[in-house]
Amino acid sequence: MPPPNTPDDVLSDQGDSNTLTFIEPDQPSETETTAAMRTARTTEPQTAPSQRGPVILPLDYQILDYADTVDETLLCPVCRTAFHSPIITSCGHTFCATCINRALEVQPTCPIDRKPINKTIDFHQPPLIIKEQLDRLKVKCPNKGCDQICSREHLEGHYEHRCEYTQVLCPSLRCDKRIARRYLTTECMHHQEPCEYCGESVAEVDLADHYDYVCTGASSRCEWCEAAVVHHRLEKHIQEDCPETEVDCKWFPIGCKVSDKRFKVVEHEQDCPYEIIGRLVRERTEDRKLIDSLVDRINALENQANDRHDRRARRSHRDFLLPPSSMGLNGAADDLESLRSSSSPESYMLARFERLEMRMEDLTKQLQELDAYQSSFVLQQLYPINNQLVELASKVGVLNMHTTWLMNMQRLQQRTGSTVNLSNSNMPSANDSPRQDFGTRPEFPDRQAFPIVNLPLRGLVDEPGSQYFRADDRRSSIGRDMNASRL
Amino acid sequence: MSFATKRLGKELSKINNNSLPPGIELVSADDFEEWYLDIKVLDNNPLYQNQVYRLKFKFSAQYPIEPPEVVFVKLANRPIPIHPHIYSNGIICLDLLGQAGWSPVQNVESICMSLQSMLTGNNKNERPAGDEEFVRGNRLRPKDIDFYYHDNNV
Repeated sequence: MPPPNTPDDVLSDQGDSNTLTFIEPDQPSETETTAAMRTARTTEPQTAPSQRGPVILPLDYQILDYADTVDETLLCPVCRTAFHSPIITSCGHTFCATCINRALEVQPTCPIDRKPINKTIDFHQPPLIIKEQLDRLKVKCPNKGCDQICSREHLEGHYEHRCEYTQVLCPSLRCDKRIARRYLTTECMHHQEPCEYCGESVAEVDLADHYDYVCTGASSRCEWCEAAVVHHRLEKHIQEDCPETEVDCKWFPIGCKVSDKRFKVVEHEQDCPYEIIGRLVRERTEDRKLIDSLVDRINALENQANDRHDRRARRSHRDFLLPPSSMGLNGAADDLESLRSSSSPESYMLARFERLEMRMEDLTKQLQELDAYQSSFVLQQLYPINNQLVELASKVGVLNMHTTWLMNMQRLQQRTGSTVNLSNSNMPSANDSPRQDFGTRPEFPDRQAFPIVNLPLRGLVDEPGSQYFRADDRRSSIGRDMNASRL
Repeated sequence: MSFATKRLGKELSKINNNSLPPGIELVSADDFEEWYLDIKVLDNNPLYQNQVYRLKFKFSAQYPIEPPEVVFVKLANRPIPIHPHIYSNGIICLDLLGQAGWSPVQNVESICMSLQSMLTGNNKNERPAGDEEFVRGNRLRPKDIDFYYHDNNV
C-alpha cells in the first residue's frame, strides 16, 4: 500500500469533499514569495501559486485508523469506515455524504432498500448524538511517524496545525512535492543526489531512511564478527547488534558477574539467576520513586493547609480586634507584602484571592444591612405622611361639598329672582331636580357626580400599600442580586 | 489511493481478522484489482457435493459504487459449477452483479454468500439456454453483457 496522503489520493477525492478546507499557513506563503522572486529573476517559466494545489492535503477520513474497534452501527455501509459528515436519507439510512452522493450518481436509489432518493429533499441531518459519538472516537494520526492518538473532533486541528509530520508543500516553486513539516527548510529538498556510500541517487529528504533501510554501498568488515556492514552503520552495529562483541549481562548493576560475547550473554540472560532479584530491585526503585513523589506531595499539601490555617487564624483575630470599616487595604497590604516575600507566588495569589473573597462577603453583608435599614426608614417616614394625606383628602372633600352646596344655593337664589316671568312648562326637568335636591338634602346623594372628591380618596387608599410593596420588592431583588454575585 | 483501494483494504483486514463464513476461503489478494476465492456448497446437494469452485473478482477503481466482475475460473481441480445461470466459460448471470441489481453496500463476502445460496437452491442439472453458442461467440466482458433476468425461481 502506498503511504497515506499521496497526491493521487486528493485528485480522486477532492471532487465532492465539501467540508474540507485547504489551509494556507503564513509561513510557507512567505517562502513562496521569496521563491517567486527568485524565479522571476532567473526568467524561468513561472508557475502561478494558485496552480500549486493546497499547502496541506485535506485530511482523508477514509484512511483513518481507529484506536479501538468502531461499533458496526457507526460504519458507513458504502465505505465501511466511521461516518464522515453523515446524512440520513428519508428512508432512515445513514451514509457519509460523499459516499451516498457517489452512489446516487450511478443509481438514484437508497443502496440499502432501493427506495428512490432525491438528494435535494431526501437528505436530512443526523441527530446530534451520532455526531457526538463520532467526535468521541479515538483515532490515530494518519501521518507516518506520528503516534498521536486523540478524539476525532480534535484530529483535524492536530493534523492541520500541530502535527510535525504533516506533509506540506515544498517551498520551491519549481517543485510540487511535499515534505514533512518538521523537515521544512527554505530550500527544496527533493533534488536527487547520489548517495556518498552506494552512489544511488536519493533525494535529500529521504536520506535518513535510505541510510537506515536501503543503502548497501561501501560496506566494511566488522572486526568482531566479520560480517559485512554498511560503513556508516558500523558503530551502531558494534554497540547494539554484533554477536561477537563483549558485553555485560543486563543484571550487571545488581551483581551478576557474567560478561561474554553478546550471543552468549543473550543466552545467559534467558535464565540469569539474578533476574528475579533484578526485577524485584527494579520494582522496588519504581516504588521508591512513587513513594518519594507521594511524600513530597503530602508535605506540600500539609504546608499549604498550615499556611491557610495560620492565615485564617490571623484574620479572625484581626477581625475581632478591628471594626469592619478599618479592615481596609492597608492592613491587608502589609500582610500580603510579608507573604509575597516569604512564600511562593502561588500561595501569595491564593492568599490574595481569599482576602478579596472575605472582603466581598463583608461588603455584601454591609450592603444588605444598609438596604434593610433604608427600607425600614422609608417605611417609618411614609406612614405618617400617608395618614396626613388621607386626612387632607377628607378635608378637601368636605370643602368641596361645602363650595358646591354654596354655589347651588347661590344659583337657586338667582333663579328664584329672575324666573318669575317664565312659565314652568319651558324647562321642567332643569327646574325640577335641582330644586328637589337642594331643598331636601344638604349632602350629595350621588358620589359619581363628584369625581374630584372621589379620585384623591381612592388614590390615597391604594397608594400607600403599593409604595410599601415596591420598597419591599426592591430590597428582595437586591438581595437576590447579591446572592447571584456571591455565587 | 482510490476509493476502491480504501474499501478493499478494509474488507481485506476484516477477512484476515475474523475470517470468512464457512465454505468461503480467500485464495489470493495480491493487489486491489484481482482477488481469488474458493467457495463450496455446505449442504448435501448432489450436484455440487465434494466440489470446490474458484471465483475471480476483478475490481474497478469505482468499486463499490460499481459492481466487481465476478466469474468462475476453470482449473484442474476447480470445475465450473453446473447451473441454469452459469455459462460453461464461468460467466454468471446474476442480477446482483449487474449495474441494476448491484448496491454499494454489497461486498466480497456477501457476493460469495449469494453465489453459495444460488448453488444450494438449485436442483437443475443444466446449463443456460444457448450456452454453447454464447460461449463460442461472446467477446464482451461479463459486465457489458445485457442479461435478461427472467427467472426468479433459481
